[in-house]
Amino acid sequence: MEKTNKFKYLTDELIQKINYYLNKFPKKEQVIIPSLHEILYVYRDIPFEAIEELSEYLDIPLARIEDVVTFYDMFRHRKNAKNHIRICRNLPCHLGKYRNLLKQIEKLTGAEVDGHSADGLWYIELVECIGSCAIAPAFLINDDLYDGSKIKSEEDLKKILEKYISENSGEL
Amino acid sequence: MKTRENYPHIPEIHVESSINLLLRRAKENRTTPLEEYVTTGGYSALEKALKRLTPEDIVVLVEESTLRGRGGAGFPTGRKWRFALSNPPPRYLICNADESEPGTFKDRIIIERDPHLLLEGMAISAYALGVNEAYIYIRGEYPAGYQILEDAIRDAEEAGYLGENILGTDFSLKIYVYRGAGAYICGEETALIESIEGKRGHPRLRPPYPANEGLFGRPTVVNNVETLSNIPIIVTYESYFMNIGPSGFYGPKLFPISGKVEKPGVYESTMDITLRELIEMAGGMKDGKKFKAVFSGALGVYSKRDLDTPMDYSPKGFGGTGTTIVLDEDDCIIDSLIVIANFFHHESCGKCTPCRVGTYEQHNLLKKFQEGTATEQDLNLLKHLAKNIPIGSICGLGFSAPQAIADAIKKYPEEFEAHLRGECPAGVCF
Ligand SMILES: Cc1cc2nc3c(=O)[nH]c(=O)nc-3n(C[C@H](O)[C@H](O)[C@H](O)COP(=O)(O)O)c2cc1C
Ligand code: SF4
Ligand code: FES
Repeated sequence: MEKTNKFKYLTDELIQKINYYLNKFPKKEQVIIPSLHEILYVYRDIPFEAIEELSEYLDIPLARIEDVVTFYDMFRHRKNAKNHIRICRNLPCHLGKYRNLLKQIEKLTGAEVDGHSADGLWYIELVECIGSCAIAPAFLINDDLYDGSKIKSEEDLKKILEKYISENSGEL
Repeated sequence: MKTRENYPHIPEIHVESSINLLLRRAKENRTTPLEEYVTTGGYSALEKALKRLTPEDIVVLVEESTLRGRGGAGFPTGRKWRFALSNPPPRYLICNADESEPGTFKDRIIIERDPHLLLEGMAISAYALGVNEAYIYIRGEYPAGYQILEDAIRDAEEAGYLGENILGTDFSLKIYVYRGAGAYICGEETALIESIEGKRGHPRLRPPYPANEGLFGRPTVVNNVETLSNIPIIVTYESYFMNIGPSGFYGPKLFPISGKVEKPGVYESTMDITLRELIEMAGGMKDGKKFKAVFSGALGVYSKRDLDTPMDYSPKGFGGTGTTIVLDEDDCIIDSLIVIANFFHHESCGKCTPCRVGTYEQHNLLKKFQEGTATEQDLNLLKHLAKNIPIGSICGLGFSAPQAIADAIKKYPEEFEAHLRGECPAGVCF
């Protein structure tokens, strides 16, 4: 899409979404978190430049936005990889042996917890309960939720991961 | 209208009900569309409320229903509503859909499979409370639920069940969906309000309570998804509601069961069911193993002796969210407590020193038990923390952070003693 606004990170599409929230919510400050979600969706992390631009666009001090970014676990500045794998480590998934799943995922992706794979495709994070304890050990790849108990072999896992490789081939 | 294919996955969670009230349309893993909701009796309670009942009638029905909050604290809903009603409008209603208590996945079932039940409950509640603007605060990790709710609200507005002049009356209601972003503390109602105002989710000092000064300083009622979803049922059944379940704890309850049972899932029952019966309902112990314990989320530990506890809100009952995490003979109490302690340490917002430092210390001390370096002194320190963290804390997270540990020390002293000797009965540690 051709860009008409002056920002580098806030694309026209993002501005459109931010405007939607500005229209929707009664107070401007309420737009910060929804906008960060949209930025996260596009970049898979929160680039510092993006919140500088957001601060300018919303006319809200940068420190005020930074305050929000640093509080919420889903928002982070660290450069995330193309695909963000979140594996649940809370009690039901712990009982469901999430560690075995983690080992398999680490092996196949080449990434480790809190780290990226060398090819930039994967980032792995351990998270608290994601409300999916009946399908423990549960994990998310980006927005997609998976039932770890259904993964009986390396092949099963490979099949899931491959989907994300082909969707993202050649990019970072 | 969007179809299920457009959404991120909604999980295949097993669902079963013996009474078919809250889960009536939620047995299958798909979102009930508006038309189907309406043809199966949906929005008739709203119509009845708006056209035949006064707001006061509804508040009285909710008081008489004995409904208690399903978000954890179990506070009587009618009483909470009265507090808010004693303050002048504008008032706000907030639906708490943050659902982040470990082992809890019941609210998502209603949101993903029968969203209009929640919306209808919110509309009736808003009418009773004199509210024209309401929020649903949904956790960031439920992206499908967020989309489903946005779409359901749009459909309901188009059909005249929400928005301006609902069903031709002069009652109007705008519902906003607001996403959280991965902070358990935002389930705490005052932190949640801060978050909706666009700030860090730090709990507020009370008083003032939200019913007096909540969102934007206005009187605010915060209720859980399941609580609000009971409202259409109460309005439909009226006094017949009091035939559902045991005296004083009427109505349906959802129980999310996970861990070592044959069929983990969400189960709906009346509250006279016991813990033992509930585990049986979930197919019994997995692989026929022996029962060891139940963790009620992060909030309490139940042993064999508690198996005949009814799952109600009496002082002896199970209460809370109904969360049931089942451990078997292969699981270690200490090892499980470490997971919970780590969770509290990670999720403490850091505002109160006893909670911030105490949760860290609890985790360290338990680790020593697992590694075989703990002494009697460490056990005493754990007891000391259990007493003192709640005293120095301002919110429910600090109050409950040592609860599971304190319960376990009382109910499983032999586990602690064995670990002091360097033995793990389940063979998990060392
Ligand atoms: C740390 C913490 C987390 C909480 N998380 C939730 C939650 O995820 N969902 C919820 O409904 N209530 C949660 N609560 C309880 C709320 O503060 C509040 O009591 C509840 O939403 C009121 O609704 P109810 O009366 O319908 O239960 C939490 C409380 C604390 C202290
Ligand atoms: S008790 Fe803990 S979580 Fe609650 S406000 Fe204090 S530090 Fe934050
Ligand atoms: S504990 Fe893993 S999803 Fe709930």
